[in-house]
Amino acid sequence: MSKIVLEVEGLRTSFFTRKGIVKAVDGVSFFVREKETLGIVGESGCGKTVTGMSIMRLLPEPGGKIVGGRITLNGTSLLELSKREMRNIRGCMVSMILQDPMTSLNPVYTIGDQIAESVRMHQNLADEKMITNEVVSSLRLLQIPSPETLLKNYPFQLSGGMRQRVVGAIAMCCKPSLLIADEPTTALDATIQAQYIALFKDIQAKTDVAIIFITHDFGVIADMCHRVAVMYAGKIVESASTSEIFKKPQHPYTRALINSVPRLDRKDDRLYSIEGQPPSLMHLPPGCRFCERCSDSLEICSKEEPPEKNIGNNHTVSCWRVQ
Amino acid sequence: MADILLEGRNLTMLYPVRRGLFQGLIGMVRAVDNVSFSIERGKTLSLVGESGAGKTTTAKSVLLLERATSGSVYFEGKDIYQYNKDQLKREYRPRVQAVQQNPWSSMNPRMRVKDIVAEPLVVNAKQSKKENYDRVVELLDQVGLKAEHAEHFPHEFSGGQRQRIAVARALALNPSLVVLDEPVSALDVSIRAQIMNLLKDLQEAHNLSYLVIAHNLATVRYMSHGVAIMYLGQIVEYGDTEDLFENPLHPYTNALISASDLKLPEDRDQNEKEIILSGEMPSPLNPPTGCRFHTRCPEARPECSKIEPEMVTVGKHQVKCHKFV
Repeated sequence: MSKIVLEVEGLRTSFFTRKGIVKAVDGVSFFVREKETLGIVGESGCGKTVTGMSIMRLLPEPGGKIVGGRITLNGTSLLELSKREMRNIRGCMVSMILQDPMTSLNPVYTIGDQIAESVRMHQNLADEKMITNEVVSSLRLLQIPSPETLLKNYPFQLSGGMRQRVVGAIAMCCKPSLLIADEPTTALDATIQAQYIALFKDIQAKTDVAIIFITHDFGVIADMCHRVAVMYAGKIVESASTSEIFKKPQHPYTRALINSVPRLDRKDDRLYSIEGQPPSLMHLPPGCRFCERCSDSLEICSKEEPPEKNIGNNHTVSCWRVQ
Repeated sequence: MADILLEGRNLTMLYPVRRGLFQGLIGMVRAVDNVSFSIERGKTLSLVGESGAGKTTTAKSVLLLERATSGSVYFEGKDIYQYNKDQLKREYRPRVQAVQQNPWSSMNPRMRVKDIVAEPLVVNAKQSKKENYDRVVELLDQVGLKAEHAEHFPHEFSGGQRQRIAVARALALNPSLVVLDEPVSALDVSIRAQIMNLLKDLQEAHNLSYLVIAHNLATVRYMSHGVAIMYLGQIVEYGDTEDLFENPLHPYTNALISASDLKLPEDRDQNEKEIILSGEMPSPLNPPTGCRFHTRCPEARPECSKIEPEMVTVGKHQVKCHKFV
C-alpha cells in the first residue's frame, strides 16, 4: 500500500451569517493515498466545494470558519499553521483547479507570467531562464502543443480546453503531492472532457500525485476515480471503491442518484427521480438527513442520526437499513 | 404517413465577420450550413453537438429570432418565411414557444410568478385578469406547483422549481411546438430526472412536439424520438433515436457516445477501447475542406480532406461520411 498523503478527520466547517449558522460541512472524514484519485460526488450545496476550500484554507472571511476536526497533509497538521506558513504550502504541496478557467485566469497577464508567478513564489530559482524552463516543462506535462509560443499568449486567445490545461499547468508546476480538482471538466465539451480526463490519468502515472476529484457527474467518476465518497447535506453518507459504489450501492441516496442518471446503453421508459429537495443546512433535521426524501425510511430514521458502519472492503455507509 | 409539424429545409446561416478600423468584411462564418430536419406532431427531435456546432443558431431560425440566410421553415406545410409580421404574430409565434437553459436568467426577478406565467396571455390572448389568473393556477398545477406559488418572486424558488415555472410560461398559449434549449443542464442531477419526467408527461398529455438542444447523449436518448448529430454547422448523422444509438455510424457519433458512456474501465471489453479524439473543433470562420470532421477523425482517408461527403441513407438513418458512400 502506498502512503497516505492527506487525512481528514471529523472536519466541520460552518458559515456564520446574520440569519444563523450554516453547517456546510458537518463531520467529514476521508483519506487519499499517493497515486490515488478520490471522487467526492454530490449535489450543489452538499458541501463538496467547501470541503476542498477547507483543505486549502481558502474559506471566505469573515463568515467561513473551520470549527472542528483535523487535516493532515504529509504529516503536517494544516489547521495549526499560521497564515504565512499556509501560503508556502498552498500551490506547492497542495493545489487546486477550479471549474471555470476563464474566471481563474487573469485576463491581463500572459500565460507564461501566470505560471511563472507560482514558480517564483515557491522555488528559489535565481535565473529567469530556469524559471522559463520550469514553466515550459509544466506546459509539456499538460501536453500543450508548442509551449514556447503559447507563453506569450493571453487567456482570451485560447479555447476553453486549452485554458483549462493552462490552469492545470499552474497547479502542477511545483509538483504538488495533492491536487484538488473542483468540477474541472464541467465547463468543457464532451470530447474535450474525455481528453482532459485521459490527460490527468497520464499525469498521475508520471508524478504520483494524489487527486481529489469533486464532481456531480457519475460518468467522470467511473472513468477517473479509484474510490468515491458520496456527500449529502454536509456529510459523507457512503464511501467505497468505485466499482463497489456502482455495483453494490448500499445507501438509498447513492442508489437513487445512480438510478436517476439516464443511461446511454439502455432505453429507460421512465427515470427514477428523487422527490423533494435537500434540507436547509441552517435547520437540519434531527435524524438522518436524507430521511424526508428516502423511499424506505424506518421510524428511527427521523429521530436519530445513523452511525457510520464499515461493511468490509473499506466500504462505509451511514444508514439504519444497513446491518 | 407521418404527421409532420415542422420542417427545416436547407437552412443556412451566415454571419459577416468584420475587423479593423473601417470594419472591413474579412469573411463569413457559416454557423449553420444546409441543415434539413423534420419534427412529427407529438414527437421530440434533439439537436446534439458541442458548443459552436450550430445547434442554438438552428433553433433561433426556427423561433424566428433570426432569419436564416437561405432555406426555409415549414410549419404544418406552410412556408413561414413567406408570412408577414401580422400573420406571424397571429398564426405562428403563439404556437411555438421556448424554454431557456438557465432558469436564473430567463425570468424577470422583479415580476411575480403569476405575472411571469401570464405574460404570453396578456400579449396574445385578450381576456380578463380573472381569466388569466385562473389559467396561471391551472398551468402551475400542471407543472407540479401550488396555487399559492403564484404570488412569489423567482428568487424564492430552487432551480428545479424555476424551470417548472419556465415550462408553465411556455405552455400558457397551448403551443404545438416547444423549443427546449438545454432544459436540464443547469440543474442538479437529482432534479434533472424530475424535470425530464415532467416534460415527458406534458408531451403525452398535450400531444406536444419538442425541439431539444442538448449536449448530453444519455439525456437525449431518454427524451427523444429522433436525433440529429451536428458538427461545425452541419448535420452529420440523423435518424430515429433507437436506431442511431443501437447502430451509430459516423465516427464523430461513436466518439461522442464513447465520451458519455457510463462505464467502469474494468467493464470495457478488450477491443472496446474508449475513443479519445485529438484536437479541437476547427474555427467555423475557416472550416476544413472536404469532410469537416477529417482533421480529428480516427478513420480519415485521403479523399476525406478533398471531397465533401454526401448525406446517404443507411438502414433507417442518414449519415454524412465517405465510409458509407
